[in-house]
Amino acid sequence: MTAPITLPPIHRETLPNGLRVIVAERKGVPLVAARLVIRGGASFDPAGRCGLAHLVALAARRGTRRRTGPEIDLAVESLGADLAAGVDEDATYVGLTAPVEALPRCLDILSDVTAGPTFPAREVERIRRREVASLAHDLDEPGVVADRAMLAAAFGDHPYGHAPEGSVKDLGAARRADVLAFHRRHYRPADAFVVVVGAVRAEEVLAQVRRRLGGWRGPAAPAPVIAPPAPPRAAVVVVDKPDVTQTQVRIVSEGFARSSRDYFPGLVASAILGGGFTSRLMEAIRVERGLSYGVRSRFATSGAGGLFFVSTFTKVETTAEIVQVALDETARFCGDGPTAEELERTQSYLSGLYPLSLETHDQLAEKLSDLALFGLSEDEVTGFRERIRAVTTEACRVVARRYLPRERSAIVAVGPAKAIARSLEKFGPVKVVPARKMV
Amino acid sequence: MDAAAPRGYVRHVSARSTTSAVLDLGEVRAHTLPNGLRLRVLPERSVPTVSYYTFFQVGSRNERLGTTGISHLFEHMMFNGAAKYGPKEFDRVLESRGGNSNAYTSNDVTAYYEDFTADALPTVVDLEADRMRSLRLTAEALEQEREVVKEERRLRTENSIFGLMEEQLEALVFLAHPYRWPVIGWMEDIQRITREDCQAFFRTYYAPSNAAVYVVGDVDADETVALVERLYGDIPAGPAPAPVPQGEPLQRGERRAVVRYPAQAPALLAGWRGPAGRSPDSAALDVLQVCLASGESSRLRRRMVHELELAVSVSVSWGWRIDPGVFLAFAELSPGVSAERADAVLRDELAGIAAKGVAAAEVRRAQALLRSSVLHELATHHGVAHALGQAEALLGDWREAGRALEHYAAVTPRDVRRVAAEYLAPARRCVVVLEPEESR
Repeated sequence: MTAPITLPPIHRETLPNGLRVIVAERKGVPLVAARLVIRGGASFDPAGRCGLAHLVALAARRGTRRRTGPEIDLAVESLGADLAAGVDEDATYVGLTAPVEALPRCLDILSDVTAGPTFPAREVERIRRREVASLAHDLDEPGVVADRAMLAAAFGDHPYGHAPEGSVKDLGAARRADVLAFHRRHYRPADAFVVVVGAVRAEEVLAQVRRRLGGWRGPAAPAPVIAPPAPPRAAVVVVDKPDVTQTQVRIVSEGFARSSRDYFPGLVASAILGGGFTSRLMEAIRVERGLSYGVRSRFATSGAGGLFFVSTFTKVETTAEIVQVALDETARFCGDGPTAEELERTQSYLSGLYPLSLETHDQLAEKLSDLALFGLSEDEVTGFRERIRAVTTEACRVVARRYLPRERSAIVAVGPAKAIARSLEKFGPVKVVPARKMV
Repeated sequence: MDAAAPRGYVRHVSARSTTSAVLDLGEVRAHTLPNGLRLRVLPERSVPTVSYYTFFQVGSRNERLGTTGISHLFEHMMFNGAAKYGPKEFDRVLESRGGNSNAYTSNDVTAYYEDFTADALPTVVDLEADRMRSLRLTAEALEQEREVVKEERRLRTENSIFGLMEEQLEALVFLAHPYRWPVIGWMEDIQRITREDCQAFFRTYYAPSNAAVYVVGDVDADETVALVERLYGDIPAGPAPAPVPQGEPLQRGERRAVVRYPAQAPALLAGWRGPAGRSPDSAALDVLQVCLASGESSRLRRRMVHELELAVSVSVSWGWRIDPGVFLAFAELSPGVSAERADAVLRDELAGIAAKGVAAAEVRRAQALLRSSVLHELATHHGVAHALGQAEALLGDWREAGRALEHYAAVTPRDVRRVAAEYLAPARRCVVVLEPEESR
């Protein structure tokens, strides 16, 4: 556990159009991972168009001035490569994994779909219809419904309050003009960067990116700034799914942004409470009571803010019991903080496993792209262990008391309202919402 | 904070997984202890971590009706304490040494792993040897794990569309073979399993003679062999496990089942009984699978998702198993689409391949994608250790892990046509349709 954490040589360059390029030369399997990241994701969805950023990301590869969508698919896949696009709340990602020898051709395609998509009307409409249809399938997954309800309960009308995949109503109303406008406004090189990791020669990759993306032009106006979200209001929400035999539960409270000083104490504290097989919540819920197969707690951190959540599930009959146990354990943790033994063990666990999160080219590309997106230094990676070691029991207690569910937390339960709503009234006034409202 | 995950049911393409091009299996140190425990060690020092896999040659195929699910329930029991490391100690000791652990049970095997920093190797060997030698099976732990497993079944089967359909499909494909029941077991059987059942199960299936250990990463081969011999050497061998019934009768026509459930949209699941994983046809079925549904330019995605807009997702998987396993096609349909119409298109595509085959370019595309997928699996110590174990457990030889790319490269368009015609014949198909119904 003493071996230092190192990063491979990293080459950086900013092109005249503002695009940043980050290349890590690294040995290993003859694959290469690339990510093109543009600041701006689902939180940039205009009012009444939830899901638009997601739709734009999917539609961008459906045709450019040089290639049709099916030609792009075939070209990429015939090279043994995988090209995928998507968004989260803060950014748009175009990800690529390819055999190393196919990188030049794949970078050409990646550049083409980012900077020069034509959004053929038929393809945009088809993708839109498919995404609306996919939401019906999402509705059949209780865990997905619970996550959506949790975002809404945590963030309300804030731009973080909806799932990136959007809603049936908003996607139903989206038009190609919306797609074009979003792309024109938000796909700008000055708000974007490319990360490439693998057994490559940095100089060659930099030259390729200069050639392919040096001519990319975008609007002058910088990306809008998302205001920090307000803390969640206390609420108990039952999302009614009359036919399930198991309730999905989320308890959510205030969190912090990725760049917050609370990040490392929060990481350690949430791991002790609900991070692994020996966590307090796992012990109380799974080991001692057999109430669930799994439970976890975590701070989810984004650019402008975040949330803390506990996520679990149990048979319908024990819904109120599992909520009570989770709240009791959380309160106990806020009161006493962790023991020295718990802290020590969790620090070892987080430090020991950290190199595994940098093992593949894809993992390293993701890590480097997060650092760039949130303006963090490489020291977050190379100094990870020292930062974890510096967290004290008192720091865990402070961060727990500041953020973990106490007065202002929202409880979400997805299950049969008839069977569970009454039992949840002891946690506050219960609001029942039909499941279909969740998409 | 990752790019959007793919929707729906996605399974990785292959059980076989490694290649001589990136992995030198010549460095593997293979050794068998007098008690039958097989050990394979591969030193690889690019990252200062180790992956330690233990494969027990037991899964749901070794079970009997009445105690289905015991392999999986038992997997849970393995984390509840042994003679030296008592209840709750296993994970605590491991985590305090900078490691973590998990396990899975399949139709064929039960596999446990630890990933950890290199200096924790003696601790990990001690932990694993302790529970193989002297697992404590208390009534209290059994009752608690029983409830946990019932929650797992509610999660993955009873409240999951795919879980509900897959359980029906396996029961259609297999009449006599134990692949007929789900790995997690029937709910009543989970309730019925006794401590005595678990004790008998442990004596036979968790003996060193029924196990193999794979160590990949920053280790010394000689030291690792010596350590394993010292800590496992005195555990006695067990009795030979009973043979698995193989009397699956010939299927002489299509079998269908309907699941009525309050879902928002219909779905279609089709399956065929294929060959055993070790059959030379397995590689061709993987190529066929990729031609059909891996990537946007695959046949079924193009036709069912892009052109006809019948489905929002299509996935196909060929599951390599010890005994003949299942080739599966799953489509999440758009609301209002008739499952019969989607099924007709699926039949038409498969009939087309059986009659006319696929183009050479399609096979080359599939081979390129399979190569990347194999390389991806081999990018970690964990992936390599798992690949070695899987190859030995399912195919009888860990060296098979190094031959996957050769096998894929040898597949011709003619092979793809032949396996489609032979294994996916209309008389051999089984179909499960999800019909949405109103909520109660």
